[in-house]
Amino acid sequence: MSFVIATSVEEALAALANGASPIAGGTDLVVGARHGKFELPPELVAIDRIEALATIEIGADSMRIGSGVTHATLMADPAIVGSYTAVADAAALVGSPATRNVGTIGGNIMNASPAMDTGAPLVVLGASVELARVGSSRVVPIGDLWSGPGQTTASADELCTAVLVPSRPAASGTAYVRLEYRRAMEIAVVGAAAAVELADDGSISAVAVALSAVAPTIISIEIEPADVERGSVAEAASQQCSPITDLRASDRYRRHCVGVIASRAVDAAARRAAGESIAVPVNRALGIGAA
Amino acid sequence: MRHSEPMRRFVRADGPEKVTGSGRYTADLTLTGQLIAKFRYAEVSHGRITKLDVSAAREVAGVLAVLTQDDVPDLRYGDAVADRTLFARDVVRFEGEVIAAVAATSAQAAQAGIDAIIVEIDELPAITDVEEALTEQSPLVHEGWADYESGWGCERNRNVASFSSISKGDAAAAMNTADHVVSSRFVADGSHALPIEPRSVVAQWEGNKVTIWTSTQVPFKARDGVCETLGLPSNRVRVIVPHLGGGFGGKCGFHFEAHIAALSRAARRPVKLVFSREEEFLAPDRRREGIVFEVTSGVMDNGDIVARTGKVVVDNGAYTADAGFFPQMASMHLAGPYKVANVHIDAHLVYTNHQPSGSVRAPTAPQACWALESHTDELAAAIGMDPVDFRLRNCVDTGDEGVVGQTYDEIGLIECIEAATGAAGYGRTELAADEAIGVAVGWWPSFPGASGAYVKLEADGSGEIITGAQECGTGSVMTLRQLAADELGMDPEDFQIVYQDTAAGPYDAGATGSQTLLNNGRAVQNASRQIAGQLRQMAADRFEASPDDIVLGDGVAMVVGTPDRSVPIAELARSSMNTELLLGHGSSAPVDTPVLRNSTCVGDMGLSAWIGPQFSCHAVRVKVDRDTGVARVVSVHAAHDSGTIINPIAARGQIEGGVVMGIGQALSEGTQYDERGAQRNAALLEYKLQTAADIPPIHTKFVEVFTNDAGPNGAKGVAEAPNVATAAAIANAISKVVGAPVRQLPMTAERVWEHSVGNGEVAS
Ligand SMILES: Cc1cc2nc3c(=O)[nH]c(=O)nc-3n(C[C@H](O)[C@H](O)[C@H](O)COP(=O)(O)OP(=O)(O)OC[C@H]3O[C@@H](n4cnc5c(N)ncnc54)[C@H](O)[C@@H]3O)c2cc1C
Repeated sequence: MSFVIATSVEEALAALANGASPIAGGTDLVVGARHGKFELPPELVAIDRIEALATIEIGADSMRIGSGVTHATLMADPAIVGSYTAVADAAALVGSPATRNVGTIGGNIMNASPAMDTGAPLVVLGASVELARVGSSRVVPIGDLWSGPGQTTASADELCTAVLVPSRPAASGTAYVRLEYRRAMEIAVVGAAAAVELADDGSISAVAVALSAVAPTIISIEIEPADVERGSVAEAASQQCSPITDLRASDRYRRHCVGVIASRAVDAAARRAAGESIAVPVNRALGIGAA
Repeated sequence: MRHSEPMRRFVRADGPEKVTGSGRYTADLTLTGQLIAKFRYAEVSHGRITKLDVSAAREVAGVLAVLTQDDVPDLRYGDAVADRTLFARDVVRFEGEVIAAVAATSAQAAQAGIDAIIVEIDELPAITDVEEALTEQSPLVHEGWADYESGWGCERNRNVASFSSISKGDAAAAMNTADHVVSSRFVADGSHALPIEPRSVVAQWEGNKVTIWTSTQVPFKARDGVCETLGLPSNRVRVIVPHLGGGFGGKCGFHFEAHIAALSRAARRPVKLVFSREEEFLAPDRRREGIVFEVTSGVMDNGDIVARTGKVVVDNGAYTADAGFFPQMASMHLAGPYKVANVHIDAHLVYTNHQPSGSVRAPTAPQACWALESHTDELAAAIGMDPVDFRLRNCVDTGDEGVVGQTYDEIGLIECIEAATGAAGYGRTELAADEAIGVAVGWWPSFPGASGAYVKLEADGSGEIITGAQECGTGSVMTLRQLAADELGMDPEDFQIVYQDTAAGPYDAGATGSQTLLNNGRAVQNASRQIAGQLRQMAADRFEASPDDIVLGDGVAMVVGTPDRSVPIAELARSSMNTELLLGHGSSAPVDTPVLRNSTCVGDMGLSAWIGPQFSCHAVRVKVDRDTGVARVVSVHAAHDSGTIINPIAARGQIEGGVVMGIGQALSEGTQYDERGAQRNAALLEYKLQTAADIPPIHTKFVEVFTNDAGPNGAKGVAEAPNVATAAAIANAISKVVGAPVRQLPMTAERVWEHSVGNGEVAS
């Protein structure tokens, strides 16, 4: 068993090249190992003290969120709350203050749970992920990152260094809503993120919806502005998912609820696009789920 | 009376230690040479042990003792029926049953020892459906249990561990005369007490005496269990409880103290056990019982309930623990605090291969109240009467005869209903279509019993209360200081408490049955009165007055009405060194049991006549997301008749805690089993407690009705009663929003949704 605290990305990459596994906040890794889901990797490299990973940079046509940014930062950062509100909605729902203060966006997406909260917002925002290894780095669309529950297409020696999110058009809004049974320490029963763009006349010109906890990975559904006009968002979401039955809910209930939640997410995103200020997280502001 | 002066706010004697972290819990203890204990569990719910070989475990490096039933006296023990052995012998009956125990120099070595034990079990079909287990055809959980001893005269018939029947008047005939007859069925899942401190035991032998530090709510019972199972006299076993990290009933009873004492004796070293959270879910014989209820009532058009019949099937689990009286409790709660002239309710406690049930805060009451009070709203609906008016018409008031023929002394149920519904704005508040206020009434007995205490004043005038009572977080032991101070005219802060040590204090039943203040409070009062008598005599001698004319107050003894003839109590205490030490001992006196008329109780465990009955009404505002079934409690108004309230801060804490537990039971807390009888959600991630963020405002009103039928200064219990009516009130609110009662507990979002779309009982 070895535990190395890296202070730079290079150090971390070198450790990964030698077979170590990264640990950021440890809120998935340590808790999962304790629950017997898997053995704690014998060699760990801690990346939570790498300052370069903990920054948010606003570029000309995109935002770069370092993989080490915590949920507590995401939910309160003015740029995220202002332009990528669904990410803030999601981060604000994660666990408890303790979880949010150490849990990171990189850990959330690399853990690849189909119930992760930041995943669906990043999908509707068209985000991509920067993966680095010693000597090289690549950028992959976030939808291509996950290959199954707990599985990614990244190789073991790759570190997620950042999430890249394109700038948002004017008159657009996003929202993330989840079904939860209680207000803290919860995992999404189902969740949905929506991004909506409005035309000059106020009609919906573009819509994207992604769902959590209803398929082996976060899924993006096929949906048109006309579906929103017709009121068939719920139907589209319910039809396009493939939920399972587990301790939290039956497949039948999940299939029903994801429709309800998806149409609420679209509704909130559209209201935000139209300029309405709905506080983060939508769940609390609108009294959704256990709110 | 002194106690009803504007309440003094005093700092809990154990508060600063607990809040600052300097207080010590059992798991904090480390003794020189201490070993770590681990258990080998059955891991299957029902099976025959075909091989048990511990020889390899004994050879593991660091392992100093390995025990099975072969290594301890081979006897069965148990409260109602002697159905248990310390370690499984031949047959295992639930997944958390202990087969063997290991003590080793480290946790790793102990685990290696556990892993080296060879256990082969032929799995048998698990008996998991409590209603099937009740049928004649069901296989038996305990074959040959006719031979088990029973202290309570249990019949040992089929899988029925105990049976109770309330019968009053002629229910069948009266039912035929009713204008409306309503029948309902309700199913409550089992749940857990879930103290945040997982239990821990440390044992150390010195010569032929053993000291056991343990996280129990009932130190004397734990001691007696060790004495019984290991064959030791009471005075060679000392049980000490460091601070207890919660119990909620889960730590009542004798659990693992004897296992650890036996390991320590075998290893000749101190031994320590600390449970993991998973063990805390699986192994104790104290989880809240699952129950199936069927209830039918006949009502007249004018709103009178004329008849009630019912059937209650309680899931006992594999062993009876203290659940023998559950049928009687459950049937009392299904009958309810109402004036019904004709009642017949049969209740069965039925063995299954689930974890054993046992007293968790107000055993059977939250579930039975939930079933009855949901049914009560259905009755009101059947005749088109407002459910609160319906309750006011039918509930018992002072002087009324209740369901078992007991006539109630001064009680305040009507005032509770008026206070809770009034404060909640019931019937007056505009509510959104997805909100409703649900109302339920509850009751709970007080449990008189033997209990003792010593009180002494030291030469410097400081006092000490040495009590057998146990503090489980309620503050009731802390409140004893106030009773002693009131008797002696001193300040509560003048007293320290020595408690939770069977070798120091006299007997007490423990933090169980809401009984601490009721019984130990009387003992402390009696002990204090002896010292008060001594002080009066000393002051009388000094002032040449009659002892009857001496009053004790504000720290002085004074001749009544003459402040210049007074002496500080501390000065009298100093002079006691030259005369007679200031020592008092007290015991709670037995209390007469109320007479019951017109009823018969078969399988009566003395619990149908309720001494000092407590009453409550909860009015709960709930918001339901109709599209998903998620229900959220918006506010709770709780009104309680617990007699005189001696320590309002602590009493309010009990109401709030009970309500929070009730919200959990209502909405999210329930054990899910697989078809083989194993718990599927034995972890805090999937067994959903309410969190601080979920808790709504809770408004408490105490209806203080003075009655002689109670404990010190007219106080009744207050610890369990607040847990009774919350789930029921929430159920009635949900039912109003979705249009039909949800017939399963907990009323999870999925169940609420399934019911609202008309799908009846569902699995999860
Ligand atoms: C009480 C509690 C409540 C929770 N509630 C929620 C919730 O509501 N919603 C939710 O989505 N999640 C929740 N979680 C899960 C968890 O907190 C989040 O997924 C969190 O974002 C994980 O981040 P972390 O930094 O702690 O990851 P870690 O545990 O450190 O790592 C998780 C995995 O990702 C890998 N990893 C981490 N960082 C990188 C990187 N930069 N590059 C490559 N691989 C990496 C690790 O090797 C590991 O396999 C909860 C967890 C707990 C304990």
